[in-house]
Amino acid sequence: MSQLYDLRMLIENKIKADGLDAMDVKGKIGLRSGRMLAFITPTTADEPQAVAKLRQAVKDVLNINA
Amino acid sequence: MKLNLIRTKVLAAMVSCLLAGVGGIVALMHYSFARNSQALGTESVTSAQKLFTILEARETSKMAAVSDTLMMNPQLRDAFAAKDRGRLLELAAPLYPQLKREGITNWMFHTSEPDMVVFLRLHNPAKFGDHLDRFMDKEVVRTHAPAVGNELAKAGFAVRILRPFYDSNGGVTGYLEFGEELGQFIHAMKSQTGDDYGLLLSKKFVDRQFWADSNAVWKRRDNWDDNANFVVADRTTSNDGIIQFQGDLAGVSGQGEVLEYFRNGNSVLVRGIFPIHDAAGNAVGAMFVVRDISGFYLSMRHTQNVLILLTVVALTLGIIMVLTLLNNLVFRRLQHIIMVATRVVGGDYEREIRVDSDDEVGQFEQLFEQFRRVFVDLLAHVPELQEKSELQHK
Repeated sequence: MSQLYDLRMLIENKIKADGLDAMDVKGKIGLRSGRMLAFITPTTADEPQAVAKLRQAVKDVLNINA
Repeated sequence: MKLNLIRTKVLAAMVSCLLAGVGGIVALMHYSFARNSQALGTESVTSAQKLFTILEARETSKMAAVSDTLMMNPQLRDAFAAKDRGRLLELAAPLYPQLKREGITNWMFHTSEPDMVVFLRLHNPAKFGDHLDRFMDKEVVRTHAPAVGNELAKAGFAVRILRPFYDSNGGVTGYLEFGEELGQFIHAMKSQTGDDYGLLLSKKFVDRQFWADSNAVWKRRDNWDDNANFVVADRTTSNDGIIQFQGDLAGVSGQGEVLEYFRNGNSVLVRGIFPIHDAAGNAVGAMFVVRDISGFYLSMRHTQNVLILLTVVALTLGIIMVLTLLNNLVFRRLQHIIMVATRVVGGDYEREIRVDSDDEVGQFEQLFEQFRRVFVDLLAHVPELQEKSELQHK
């Protein structure tokens, strides 16, 4: 599995665990990272720049160091 | 509060307007007060000068009438013609207290020229035989007509009338003089206007020893050293502090001058001065005028406070109204667009933007809603969309 997908799973789990508004959280992370989470699959290729952007977005929105 | 928000910038602009408005009002009121107090001061000086002139003319007229009456008295006329001092004093002395009550403090008979010495002083009978040699003495000898004016003499600074005294044959037997102390004018002026006055005499025209002697006689403090160029002959207030003048009395404009306005305790006062000339036209003294303008000042301050309060209330209401309008018409709707855009990216493809108005923001809402539909439609047709099932459930 790709790092991007791992990050996506991390986000989904955090949303479930904390009972967050899924659409709102995913939207904010998607806008910050420039990538819709719905398009990230286990086979999505890891581009270093995309991984870094998503990681930073996760930190900004959920305050998690992924 | 974020500084880059339009809301913050608008608020800052409005608060700046508020401060500028209040500052403008304070500056305007200060300017207005300065101008009005200057006008009040000018009016005080002008009216005091007019009043002084009127009093001078009235008293001169009174003294002229009294002298006319006296010259018609044959006993007085004969006694003076005979140079019988004892008889003259006997006849005139009973009249002097009455005249003094009316303000005529100086009463003299002078012999005719060429000697022209004081024959009798009703206000000081023991002293006679001295030669005064004043401008008015020379003038009355020269013209043989009444000489009128202010004259600084040993008995003080007084408005005087000096006129020839004729015997029964119409010949000049001597001269008759009446005088009223100018100092008493200022008390009459105060009772009429409520302003305070001070009578200043230039030291150039006052003998130092005479001043010391007269203060001793009147049991007054010798104030010679209080001021550099003048002495205060009389004043209507016990407060010396309000009479302040550093210049030369000879340099005071004939129209009078407003010096300054100042505070004394809770009072706000304005000072002015106008010159007093003697019969020869010399600026021998000046009248100092102090008017209390506290009432005007308090009224101006009240107006200023009301204006500031009204400005603050009006601009505060304006700020609230503008921010409320901006919030309802712009900020809240922009926030809604941001929320919808965020949720669409998050997967909420059904959330729509309500377009309730066709104003500028409404046009943008409509455009964005159209864009959202295109975007959702595009997502629905992406074959690679792994979350297709998720889309269909929505």
